Amino acid sequence: MSNDPSDEARREQNAAWHAVSLIMAGVLFWGGLGWLAARWLDNQIFLPAGLLLGMGAALYLVWVRYGRA
Amino acid sequence: MPFVLAAGETEEFEAPGPADFELPPVFEIFGFGVTKPMLIVVFATLLIGLGLYVAARRATLVPGKGQFFVEGLHGFIRNSMVPDTIGREGAKYVPYLFTVFVFLAVLNVSGIIPFVQFPATSRIAYPLVLAVISWIIFNYIGMKRQGVGGYFKNMMFPPGVPKAIYPLLAPLEFLSTVIIRPVTLTLRLTFNMFAGHLVLLLTILGGEFLLLHTQGIVGITAGSVSLLFGIVLTLFEGFIQLLQAYVFTLLSAIYIGGALTHEH
Repeated sequence: MSNDPSDEARREQNAAWHAVSLIMAGVLFWGGLGWLAARWLDNQIFLPAGLLLGMGAALYLVWVRYGRA
Repeated sequence: MPFVLAAGETEEFEAPGPADFELPPVFEIFGFGVTKPMLIVVFATLLIGLGLYVAARRATLVPGKGQFFVEGLHGFIRNSMVPDTIGREGAKYVPYLFTVFVFLAVLNVSGIIPFVQFPATSRIAYPLVLAVISWIIFNYIGMKRQGVGGYFKNMMFPPGVPKAIYPLLAPLEFLSTVIIRPVTLTLRLTFNMFAGHLVLLLTILGGEFLLLHTQGIVGITAGSVSLLFGIVLTLFEGFIQLLQAYVFTLLSAIYIGGALTHEH
């Protein structure tokens, strides 16, 4: 499969759309859990912590999927 | 409105808003109100069906204008979009993608066709249903090709990651594929059409108001500029409408391609 020259272009195109959607997912999921934790445990630190964790996890995932040679 | 007050007018300009998309029923069938977007969808469907039927039926070796246009459009999906996104197995999905593209293009462009001038796709139900169909198709293909377990395993657990990190990553892939994809497909199209139509309403209705319902040179100048701007924006909106139909189709194709060959 990887010998097909259009595979590379396809991968790049997928990466662009997938990355955006992953970062949204990261912020929504871990940011959302952080928001809930902040409310329940009454400590505001959980919201930014969750948002950062989500963004970090999403960026790492994009790298895992598309960044490694 | 400073213009209006300066001209000594008491008439108020009513800015267009979301209420302009809540159209009253044109007529009722057994108490069921039929609205303009519904009529647009029905007529668009008939028009597309008839147009494609005629173009295909009278197909000749040397194509006429209609056949040339339809073949060009179909060829673009089959020979350019599908090979770039799905690859060699793509032929099977060309009919669906072609249908979606033509249907959406006509429904979107209904926003700038004179006297119709309402993008049916600015009502969320139409993009939503199409997004759900695309969603069902790519998930079904993925599960059929990779097995139900394999599909979710390939989706959520990319290889080469320390096991301890999976709880952090797996929900993101799941959310991204299963929830965010259909939601963004729907919202991207709906709100592009919604916002585009709103901008046209504002420039054209505002221009009309300034030109006809205010006095003085300022109102006439501003109104003319606004109307001219409205015409330019109408052309630009036509481009966006075709572009959004293309983006919806392209993403559907990318999702199908991704379900067929999971990435490593």
